[in-house]
Amino acid sequence: MVDDSKALFLQIAERVEDSIVDGSLAEDSQAPSTNELAAFYRINPATAAKGIALLVDKGVLHKRRGIGMFVAPGARRALIEERRAAFASTYLEPLAAEARKLGIDVDELIQLLKERFSERTKA
Amino acid sequence: MTRVTNVMRLQLMNRQSYVIVPLLVLGGAALLALAIFLLVPYDGPKYAVMAAAAPLWAFLVVGVQALTLSFPFSQALGATRRDFHLGTLLTAAMTSAMLAIIYLAISLVEKATNGWGLNGYFSTPGLDGDAPLAAFASYFVLAMLCFLVGYWSAAVIKRWGTVVLISALVGVAIALTVASLLLVRFGAMQAVAEWAVAQGALGLDAWGLLLVVVLAATSFLTLRRITQ
Amino acid sequence: MTSIIEVKHLTKRYRTATALDDVSLALDEGKIYGLLGRNGAGKTTLMSILTAQNFATSGHVRVFGEDPYENARVLGRLCFVRENQKYPERATPPQAFRTASYFYPNWNQRLAERLVEEFQLPTDRPIQRLSRGQLSAVGIVIALAARADVTFFDEPYLGLDAVARQVFYDRLIEDYAESPRTIVLSSHLIDEVANLLEHVIVLDRGRVVIDAAADDIRGSAFNVVGDATAVAAFAVGKQVLRKQTLGNVTSVVLKGQMSESDKVRLARSGVEVAPVSLQQFIVSSAAQPDRGDAWGTDGPPAKVEARQLVRNGGAR
Repeated sequence: MVDDSKALFLQIAERVEDSIVDGSLAEDSQAPSTNELAAFYRINPATAAKGIALLVDKGVLHKRRGIGMFVAPGARRALIEERRAAFASTYLEPLAAEARKLGIDVDELIQLLKERFSERTKA
Repeated sequence: MTRVTNVMRLQLMNRQSYVIVPLLVLGGAALLALAIFLLVPYDGPKYAVMAAAAPLWAFLVVGVQALTLSFPFSQALGATRRDFHLGTLLTAAMTSAMLAIIYLAISLVEKATNGWGLNGYFSTPGLDGDAPLAAFASYFVLAMLCFLVGYWSAAVIKRWGTVVLISALVGVAIALTVASLLLVRFGAMQAVAEWAVAQGALGLDAWGLLLVVVLAATSFLTLRRITQ
Repeated sequence: MTSIIEVKHLTKRYRTATALDDVSLALDEGKIYGLLGRNGAGKTTLMSILTAQNFATSGHVRVFGEDPYENARVLGRLCFVRENQKYPERATPPQAFRTASYFYPNWNQRLAERLVEEFQLPTDRPIQRLSRGQLSAVGIVIALAARADVTFFDEPYLGLDAVARQVFYDRLIEDYAESPRTIVLSSHLIDEVANLLEHVIVLDRGRVVIDAAADDIRGSAFNVVGDATAVAAFAVGKQVLRKQTLGNVTSVVLKGQMSESDKVRLARSGVEVAPVSLQQFIVSSAAQPDRGDAWGTDGPPAKVEARQLVRNGGAR
């Protein structure tokens, strides 16, 4: 669920972004309401509202007057690009550090990755 | 006014204590008295005044519980102390009146049946079927006094603790004893007795009502600053 | 944001102890506040004074702009169910709820009935024969269904099992979302309620030590664990809230955000970073005995020298 490593509203925003990226929340579909998010994650509605507001500011969601928040067209592509850019520092740095600790060199690492990738495409 | 009636409804949540217990005590005492009248081999008038007084003692406990059990709940629900006090006293007055009416009814029945056919009387001479207004008023005033003594004592305990209450009661007892001794010493007891008789039952009831008002005021002043 | 409760230099002294020491606060309308702190920190005393059930030694309190004492206009908008609330004992829960409904024009009967069902509250038993948990449930039903403008909960879940506590938290959020109002929730179970709170007030020995938005606190500190020297090097120039050592390993709780360069440094030097929960943050903040200032005010943070850390860390 949600943890304490960073502000709750940021986590809520990220969760919504996650669901946009993985396709479960389609573009032009209605985003979960503040109260729904609050009830689901068991958090304060004001916090959920802050998360939604963040996404609106970012352009990921937009408000349709009288109806609610909807996923903006092009949001998925924009989010994927954003995450690609951060991929290296978010995932690769810790990976490299751990590999170094365990004495796994680059070639071994590449081999391991190749195995993982082929497994995933098979499945 | 709605706030005060809300407090009355709050008090009557304990309908059992306010209404049923005193009635049960009255009923039980009456039955006991009747049983004694039946058993005692004496044809002259028999009086069971203690039986009539029993519900009054129960009402003292009602007064205590009116504060201990209902005051904290009223505070939780946002009632002011003033509203609590007024609502509680009105409830007490209602119940006292109810008890007084029952006592009056018993008195009238006793007068009509010559003491239940046994020449046994629950009611007190002078406060019986022959003096219905005095009967009702006296019982009402005594009930209110008992309630208020319980109510005020509980307020003192909640505010200052049991030690203070006991000290106060002891103080009052001492004062009354000293006053009585002085009266006897100066031969004034006779004058006091004559004055009381001159007042008559209704006159004494009026003084009783004054005492009720005083106790109502002191208990309010006490509960105004109870903390929780 | 309108301040509906103002507390200015509130002090409450008893003969043997000081329950509240120069407390100043402003509570806004419509937020869920956490009033946190250890037992005896002054939480109940504060709430009692706010509801005119106790009186200040000095300082003053204003609720909706007025003194709450004997003020029906103000008190009628408040509901305060205490930790050991007394009820007219021989009444049954439904009777208590009906009585409470008279006092609150916004009483939500449907919610009350739903809660009775979810808490599995017996409805035919007098209150004096309820268990501790059932008694707490009664208090929760009243405080939630009342929909008072300001509702105070004083450790409301004592005796409730984990399932029932979760019911309480869920219904609280749901009803608050439906009918926003000001809620003050006192608790010593910080982690359980942390996500419900919008604003956090922490009392320690009668003083306010934290008074900040929950979101500002979260992610404002982090726990760095690893080799003593590496951690010391990293901690230079940062405010240390707590430090623990075990052999060569040091664990510090540092105040501040983690920058990108921080993250990179840490990943490289093999030092672990762990999140700091609200509870850990509060515990760490309270651990300093001289920490009298409220978190969030400006004041020079104590910067730690790397040398000092290593020296205390027991370098071999």
